[in-house]
Amino acid sequence: MSNNIVIFGGDSHPELVNRICENLDIKPSQVELGKFANGETSISVRSSVREKDVYVIQSGCGHVNDTFMQLLILISACKSASASRVTAVMPYLCYSRQPDIPYTAKGAPLVSKPRNSLSSTSKTNDENTTTNQSKILHNGVLQSTNTVNRPGSEFPFKSLDNAIRSSIQMEQPVPVREPKLAKTSSMSRIPVIPDGRISRGANNDAEELFNAQNSGYKLWVVQAGTLIANLLTTAGADHVITMDLHDRQFPGFFTVPVDNLYCKPMAQNYIQHFIPGYKDAVIVSPDAGGAKRATAIADALELSVAIIHKEKRSQLPKGPPDATLTSGVSLSSKPLISHNSVDDTINSNSNQVPVLSANGVATEFANSNAKSSKYIQTTMLVGDVRNKVCILIDDLIDTSYTITRAAQLLKDQGATKIYALATHGIFSGDALDRIKLSPIDKIIVSNTIPQERTIKKLGKHRVGIIDVSLVFAEAIRRIHNGESISMLFEYGF
Amino acid sequence: MTESQGPQNFNNKSELKTTEENSKMTSNSIKLLAGNSHPELAELISKRLGIPLCKVGVYQYSNKETSVTIGESIRDEDVYIIQTGIGQEEINDFLMELLILIHACKTASARRITAVIPNFPYARQDRKDKSRAPITAKLVANLLETAGCDNVVTMDLHASQIQGFFHIPVDNLYAEPSFLNYMKLKVDLDNAILVSPDAGGAKRVASLADKMDLNFALIHKERQKANEVSRMVLVGDVTGKTCLLVDDMADTCGTLVKACDTLLEHGAKEVFAIVTHGIFSGDAREKLSNSRLTKIICSNTVPVELDLPVVDQVDISPTLAEAIRRLHNGESVSYLFNYAPPV
Repeated sequence: MSNNIVIFGGDSHPELVNRICENLDIKPSQVELGKFANGETSISVRSSVREKDVYVIQSGCGHVNDTFMQLLILISACKSASASRVTAVMPYLCYSRQPDIPYTAKGAPLVSKPRNSLSSTSKTNDENTTTNQSKILHNGVLQSTNTVNRPGSEFPFKSLDNAIRSSIQMEQPVPVREPKLAKTSSMSRIPVIPDGRISRGANNDAEELFNAQNSGYKLWVVQAGTLIANLLTTAGADHVITMDLHDRQFPGFFTVPVDNLYCKPMAQNYIQHFIPGYKDAVIVSPDAGGAKRATAIADALELSVAIIHKEKRSQLPKGPPDATLTSGVSLSSKPLISHNSVDDTINSNSNQVPVLSANGVATEFANSNAKSSKYIQTTMLVGDVRNKVCILIDDLIDTSYTITRAAQLLKDQGATKIYALATHGIFSGDALDRIKLSPIDKIIVSNTIPQERTIKKLGKHRVGIIDVSLVFAEAIRRIHNGESISMLFEYGF
Repeated sequence: MTESQGPQNFNNKSELKTTEENSKMTSNSIKLLAGNSHPELAELISKRLGIPLCKVGVYQYSNKETSVTIGESIRDEDVYIIQTGIGQEEINDFLMELLILIHACKTASARRITAVIPNFPYARQDRKDKSRAPITAKLVANLLETAGCDNVVTMDLHASQIQGFFHIPVDNLYAEPSFLNYMKLKVDLDNAILVSPDAGGAKRVASLADKMDLNFALIHKERQKANEVSRMVLVGDVTGKTCLLVDDMADTCGTLVKACDTLLEHGAKEVFAIVTHGIFSGDAREKLSNSRLTKIICSNTVPVELDLPVVDQVDISPTLAEAIRRLHNGESVSYLFNYAPPV
C-alpha cells in the first residue's frame, strides 16, 4: 500500500480499526486519546500527516457525544496539521436517525401509563368476537356507519350503548394523560432523562413540558441531521464514508461527498451460507419503512416477503384498513390482520404473552385497549409465515421494541424459526434483555458497532456477526487510489 | 439585525394565540433557554430579568444521543441560550446540547441566537503548543457558528484572543467587578497585595492592581506536564501581607495550593484565592481541604459542588442578566467591564 495513507482510529471501536488496517496491510497511526482532568477531550497526533491522505475511523456508539467530539477534534487536528485530505469513516453515523416521536394534536407524545386494568367486559371478549371484528373490518362493511369501529377500539360491536358511549368520549376533549417519559417502555424512541439531572432542579420537567397546552403550537423534536453534517464539514472532513444510513436523504445534508456503503451483499451472503433452508424462508420487514430494504434482499435471493405494518394514530382512520392490505405486496393467498386489539393477544395467546409482559411488550397492547385511549395501535402482518423460517430485516436495532414485537407476532402466526438481521446493532438500554426473552432464535448484526456485550449476554449461538471491515478497507483503498467504489454496492467483498 | 420580519400572512396562525402572546411576538422579546449544565444560574438570570425560562426539553435517548424539544414558539424572537462548559463526564454532552439547541432555534426561525457560555469549553486548548496539537477552542468557535449562533456572551476567557476565532461578535465579560465588590466587604485591603500565580496571568492581575491601587507580585511556575506544577519562583515581596491570588480558573488546584505554600513560605500573613471558574476537577477537593488557603473565592459561572468552608461563591448572574438586557436593547455593554450591577 502506498505510504501516503494514514489511518487513525478513535476509541469507540478499536477492534474494527485493527481489522480494517489488517485488511489494508498497514498499521493504524499513533494517536493519543484521552481526557484532561476537567473532562475535556485531549488528543495528541503522534505521526506526521503533512500532505497525507488521512482516514479517521470512529463509529457513533458508546458515549455518543464524547466519541463524536473526539472525531471532530481529531479531524480538525489533522486538518490544521496540513493533511491533504481527511476522510471521516463512520461505520455507524450517530444522529443519523431523525427523531420520530409522534404527537397528538394536544402536543403530548404518544406515551401513556400502561393500563393493566382491563374492564370486565373486555375480558369476556373472546376470540370469536375479535375475529368477527376483524372480519367486519376487513370487509369494510361498517366503515362509514360510525366513527367507533376503528381497529383497536375495544368491543365496538358489543353493544350499541357502548359504541355510543365511546363515541361520545371521542368527541370530548379528552385530557392528555401524563406521559411518563423516563419509564415508559411502549415506544421505540423515548428520551430518557439522565440520572441526577432532575435532582439538580432542572427547569425542564418533562411532564410539565409535555403537558403544556399552549394552543396553536405543536411540540416538535429537533432534527439534528443537518447539524451533524455541518459540524463534520466544519471540523474539516473532506469526505465521509458510512454504511446503511437510516435516511437515504442524509448524504444530501452534506456539502462534501458521502459514500454510503451497503451491508446488503454481506447480509445476502450470510443468509445463503449460514441459515439452513433459507430457500423456503420468508423475508419479513418489521415496519413499512423498511419494506424496500427487505424486498431488495428478497428479490436478490428470490424469497417471498412479508411485511408487518404498525400503525399509531391519534385520529380515527379515514379509509378502510383493508385498503392497505390489498395494495400491499401480498405474496400469500390471504392477508392476515392480527391483533387489532389487545384482547386478541391476551386471550388468544395467553400462553406466550405473560412471559413478555414484564418487559413491557404486552403493555403496548394494553395501552391501546385503555378505555379512554384516543390512540389506536394496529399491527398487521401482510404475507404468510405459517410453518416457515422468518428472517426479519432492519437497518438498525436500538431499543429492540420493534424487532421483538415483530418476532412475537411472527411466532404467534406460526413461524418455525425467527432470525433477525440488522446492519447496526446499537442495543441501548435493556434491549438485550428483551431480545433474550423474545422468540428470536438468532440475531445477526454487523460489526459497525462493538458486539462483545451482545455475545456475552445472548451467548455465541444466538448471535451472528457480519464482518464489514473488508468492505470498509476496500472502500478506503479504492477511494485513496481514485477508483470507483460502485462495485462494492452490488457485490460487497 | 438586518433580517426582515416574515410576511404578515404567515402570522395567521398566531391569531389563535392569546393577545398577550401576540404582542410578545411582534415586540421581539427575550427568550431564555437553558441546557442541563447549570440550571441554577439560568434560574438566577431569569429571576433577575423577570423573564421565565422557555420550556425546553433536553434529554438523552437510551443510545446516549441528545434530544431537544422546544416547548413554545420562538419565531422571530431574541433567543439567549445559557449553557456553561463543565462536567467531567458530560462536557461534550453539554456542548452537543448547546449546538443542537442553537440549531433548533435556527430551524425554528429565531431572529437572533446568542449563546451565553459563562465558562467557554476547551478554552485552554487555544494554540498549537506542540506539533499537530488540535486548536480545539477554534474548533468549538467554528462549531458554534456552524450551528447558527449569531452572538456569543462569555466570561473571563482564558485567552481573550479566542474572540478572534469567531466571525461573529463575542462579548467577553469580566467577573472582576463582582469580585471587587466582594473583596471590599470581606478582605482587609489596606494590607493586601495581589499575586499572579503564573506569568500568563500577570496582565490580568496588573489591571486589577491598578484599579484597586495595590501592589502586585508574581509567581513563575515551571510546568512539565499539563495539570502538574513542578517549581515555583516568587517575584516580589509579600512579607506580612494579605495575599490575593488571582487566576481565571481553578481546575485541579495544584497551582493554587502550591502558590499558597510558596507565599506562606515567603512570610505572607494569609492567602486568599480569587478564581472566576471554579471547576475543581480531579482531587481538587482533597487538595483544598488540606491547603492553607484562608478562602478560595470563585464565581458561579460553573456549578460548584464543593461544600468546603474554604470555598466562597460570588454571584455573577446580575452581570450576565444585565448584559443580556443591554444586548437585547442594543445598548453598550462596556459599562459592565468596570462595574458590577448591584446584587
